[in-house]
Amino acid sequence: MKKQFQAIVVGAGPAGSSAALTLARAGLDVALVERGSFPGEKNMFGGVLHRLPCLEEFFPDFWERAPLERHIVKKGVTFMTGTSSFNTTIEAGAFDTPPYNGYTIFRPRFDNWLAQEAVNAGATLITRATVDELVYKNGTLSGVTIAGRQGELLAPVVIAADGVLSFTAKKAGLRQPTFDPGQMAVGVKALIDMPREIIDDRFGLVRDQGFANEFVGCTAGVRGGGFLYTNYDSLSVGLVFHLASLRTSGKTPYDLLNEFMEQPQVAKMVCGGRLQEYSAHVIPEGGYDMIPELVGDGIIVAGDAAALCNATGLNLEGINLASQSGVLAGQAVIEAHKSRDFSKRGLEVYRRLMNDSYVMKDLKMYRKAPHMLHNDRIYNEYPEMVCSMMESIYRIEGAPKENMTKLFLKTAKNKVGLANLAADAFSAWRSL
Amino acid sequence: MNIDEIFDYTSFTIDREPHIVLDNQVCVGCDNRGCTNSCPARCYTWSEADQKMTFVYDGCLECGTCYVVCHRNAFTKWSYPRGGFGVAYRMT
Repeated sequence: MKKQFQAIVVGAGPAGSSAALTLARAGLDVALVERGSFPGEKNMFGGVLHRLPCLEEFFPDFWERAPLERHIVKKGVTFMTGTSSFNTTIEAGAFDTPPYNGYTIFRPRFDNWLAQEAVNAGATLITRATVDELVYKNGTLSGVTIAGRQGELLAPVVIAADGVLSFTAKKAGLRQPTFDPGQMAVGVKALIDMPREIIDDRFGLVRDQGFANEFVGCTAGVRGGGFLYTNYDSLSVGLVFHLASLRTSGKTPYDLLNEFMEQPQVAKMVCGGRLQEYSAHVIPEGGYDMIPELVGDGIIVAGDAAALCNATGLNLEGINLASQSGVLAGQAVIEAHKSRDFSKRGLEVYRRLMNDSYVMKDLKMYRKAPHMLHNDRIYNEYPEMVCSMMESIYRIEGAPKENMTKLFLKTAKNKVGLANLAADAFSAWRSL
Repeated sequence: MNIDEIFDYTSFTIDREPHIVLDNQVCVGCDNRGCTNSCPARCYTWSEADQKMTFVYDGCLECGTCYVVCHRNAFTKWSYPRGGFGVAYRMT
């Protein structure tokens, strides 16, 4: 096996493969190192693949070419309790024409495709290779070793795109040695097999249209939320929990997932389906304040490894940020090869590109959102308040109706407390 | 979904050598043991009777939860499995 490259990318996820693709298209000799037996084997997500403008530059026909499932035309939010739910849904005509705004995908297929595109452009993909140590020669980072294999892979620069726990960034001293559970969440997901026609009928979809729904109030008081997404002939159903809250709750992710799928309104949506696969992964939800050092001598950090995840409560973005950061990491390495400077100073261009991109600008704008979401009332009292108020509005009991403002204030006072309501509204306004 | 039947749903290629090694003496003095309920694959079980933590890595989803929630740093080793081993998602 060839040992010397112009760059090594650790991890063939969306960040790593975007970086490798950028480098290979520019004619650089890049190794893309992946621990799975194929790219995507280790990857799961509980989300929607948002539009990837940075990849559309490489593939103007992205949505014809990539292995995508349904495009999302309908987005919903559900506030729910054990017995009731209140839904809001937006279905927009503009979401139904290309360029589509988001898709459901299977990671083992999508990630594999993107890595193969990097290979087609000239990258060397090395699978079944877990990066072990960083190699330093004369004090300069010069490559990596692979666990259980002899020898080293050498390059003057390494892009750490090895995911949320990034041991590569840790070994380079770029990320904190331990994580704060308050900045992390875990997602669990059930993939449920269901015939395409049933999905179309049940969720009101035609052609390749897809539906994405988020849920609040379905986590038995643990801070977190739920999701349900439609693939062609399966549903992705899952929950996400803040780890600081989950670890002290005594509750388990799988019991809560079962309870979620048994809640009467959710049960009707998943009814008749068959569990195909169960998966889980940690998500960096600390936002801007959690981002590690992005650049070191001979190394750049991208994607989840750099905690690039935007969780505002309504949108959960990650792959788009990962892919964009990967492209920018690739561009920075191309620049470094021109100046032949792989020191921290030479790679600083990455930080500049990132600061100018929507990735850092969005994360900065929403930097207070993670803090706002650490409010237990969002996950218990508010869904109860919303459901109880809507029930009262629609209920006919032969008695005169209450004034809506009064009803709102009474329900809010009962369920949340007016001072809390005011404080939370202010906090939400400041965060979003 | 029954977590005891995880091997019916999700595929694994189990390595003989564990990728995570726990010093379970540390767990005896832990005041939280958040790993036991937080691990999505129930790899950690605490026996009150024996005052002992048992860890099985076979069904580990490599999600990273235990690495984050353990505040006692009870791991003598926490790494991802060697290339080609561990969980293998097909269509998630």
